[in-house]
Amino acid sequence: MEKFFRYTLTALISTVAVSQFVQVLTRYVFEMPVMGLEEAALIPTIWLYILGSVNASREDTQIRANVLEIFLSTDRARLVLHIISEVISIAISCWLTYWAWKYFNYAMRVGKESPTLYIPTIVYESALFLGLVLMTLFTLWHLVRNVQSLLGQRPMPAHLQQPTTDELDEMQVLDPSSGVNVSANKGHQKEQNNG
Amino acid sequence: MVEIAILAFGVLVLLLTLGVPLPFCFGAGLIVMTVIGEATMRGMMLWGFSQLTNPVLLAIPLFVFAGTIMSVSGIAASLLQFVNVFIGRVRGGLGVVASVSCAIIGAISGSGLTGIAAIGPLLIPEMERKGYPRAYATALIANSSVLGLLIPPSVTMIVYGWVTDTSILASFLATLGPGLLIMLNFCIVNMFMARKFPLVLDEPLEFTELLKQSGKKTINAVPALLMPVIILGGIYGGIMTPTEAAAVAVIYALPVGFMIYKGLTFKILLESGKESASAVGAILIMVLFSLMLSQIYVMEDIPQMMVDKIFEITDDKVLLLILTNLFLFGIGMIVNDITAIILTAPLLLPLMSALGVSPIQFAAIMGVNTAMGGVTPPYASILYLGARIGKVKFTELIKPAMTLILFGYIPVVVLVSVWPDLSEFIPSMFGY
Repeated sequence: MEKFFRYTLTALISTVAVSQFVQVLTRYVFEMPVMGLEEAALIPTIWLYILGSVNASREDTQIRANVLEIFLSTDRARLVLHIISEVISIAISCWLTYWAWKYFNYAMRVGKESPTLYIPTIVYESALFLGLVLMTLFTLWHLVRNVQSLLGQRPMPAHLQQPTTDELDEMQVLDPSSGVNVSANKGHQKEQNNG
Repeated sequence: MVEIAILAFGVLVLLLTLGVPLPFCFGAGLIVMTVIGEATMRGMMLWGFSQLTNPVLLAIPLFVFAGTIMSVSGIAASLLQFVNVFIGRVRGGLGVVASVSCAIIGAISGSGLTGIAAIGPLLIPEMERKGYPRAYATALIANSSVLGLLIPPSVTMIVYGWVTDTSILASFLATLGPGLLIMLNFCIVNMFMARKFPLVLDEPLEFTELLKQSGKKTINAVPALLMPVIILGGIYGGIMTPTEAAAVAVIYALPVGFMIYKGLTFKILLESGKESASAVGAILIMVLFSLMLSQIYVMEDIPQMMVDKIFEITDDKVLLLILTNLFLFGIGMIVNDITAIILTAPLLLPLMSALGVSPIQFAAIMGVNTAMGGVTPPYASILYLGARIGKVKFTELIKPAMTLILFGYIPVVVLVSVWPDLSEFIPSMFGY
């Protein structure tokens, strides 16, 4: 799963960057903009947003404020709070998914196509419904795991044991202490020593 | 209806406090407005989804991706050496190097975390070796890292421009003046603080050696320094849109990271791509539902009703500006910068307009307050990251961080509210 998201999300964001770059080249350098490129780029763009959000749900790094958590002194109390917030999240997510389902049905019924390339817009309009379904399922998965932790069947999640925010969880690659970008830091140190 | 809107907002804040993810907090607000307030959800998903197709939003993932690539590529070492040649050997100079380097990194990345992540691991040990207390060095770099949110390009200003329908280019420039002033404040505060530290200073370089060194370091730093020139020159030269400039930045950052600074590997690229996409996905799904809630508010004329209610209590501009700043400061303490903007900008903008505060000045007010939120606990992402990178206890960071906030940020927060030219002059030079 990790590998799937790593490759898919990087491929999507790279595709989007390359398509914009090609548009810059063709529009400003060659003065021959490619017709329909923006339309086609909408597909990876929307899927990038939605799958990015699905991955944030999978990694449990959706943006949270965690105000009350700071005032709780035990890991167990924080875990109970997480479980409560996950139950609420699932209920709300189901309601949002219901409306996204209605929108998905509407998009299927209308069968709209893009104006230049005639791409069926359902290709990206379906992303919201599918994304919300996956987000709900991942939240449910975290709920089950947290309940297991509460019952002592699993170890306590690591993020409950130190102060953190969702941004730090999301951008681990920028945190040398996370070990994700170890080689880059070695590069830094080496350059500094040479300099 | 105002009462139900306040109830929806109250439910949103309650769930936010409980730690419910922000997209679902906005979802709860929608439930209250539709179930109790009998507002309609029909067509709302279609409308919300169509907002996501706005090409402007694409600048967010691309700037985040470009900034991440550059920060993990080894760019920081060359930038530090470049700035260090000119001011590093003066008493307190390393602190100035920290602030200025973070500002330059800010012109490359749109995030507040990049500066501390890129500069911190290199400069904190060096500053400690030269006699700066480790906690102070960490707090200074973490505070300076926030400049990434104020020096353009800035992800928060893209979001502000989008949710308030203000020019993104003008919003970028609105926070530039305050950002530079905060950087200057940090340099001055640092010079004062440095007087009481037992600093070890390197011998000043002879003129010919200085010329030689500066030439060499400048050449090393050119690929990094070119990035803001490409981004900002492209945007403000009228050549590219912010989204296109962000894409060019990504394409430029790849060979620079792989072949020039050589810190970028395929594995790190994959990790950066995944994390940038997740960060952006988490932002945009929240934006989607918040926009839907805002749209329902607008359809029910709630912001104008709230302005009328507030004006029934007082219409004193100074008092309302002070209260707005305190409110934003409080919000910044409990949520991140982007959330604070999404949560409050659409509601406060009508009030600001009624007070005669332009959307550009309000961009700066929001920008400075929410950026400061990144280093004010309990939700202090940048300070938390600083503590991890500097290997300092978080509690040890509080005192130096608060000193820097008091003398670095607070004067600018006051100035930006009472002196419109601080935020409006630079945009006006570009015709905004």
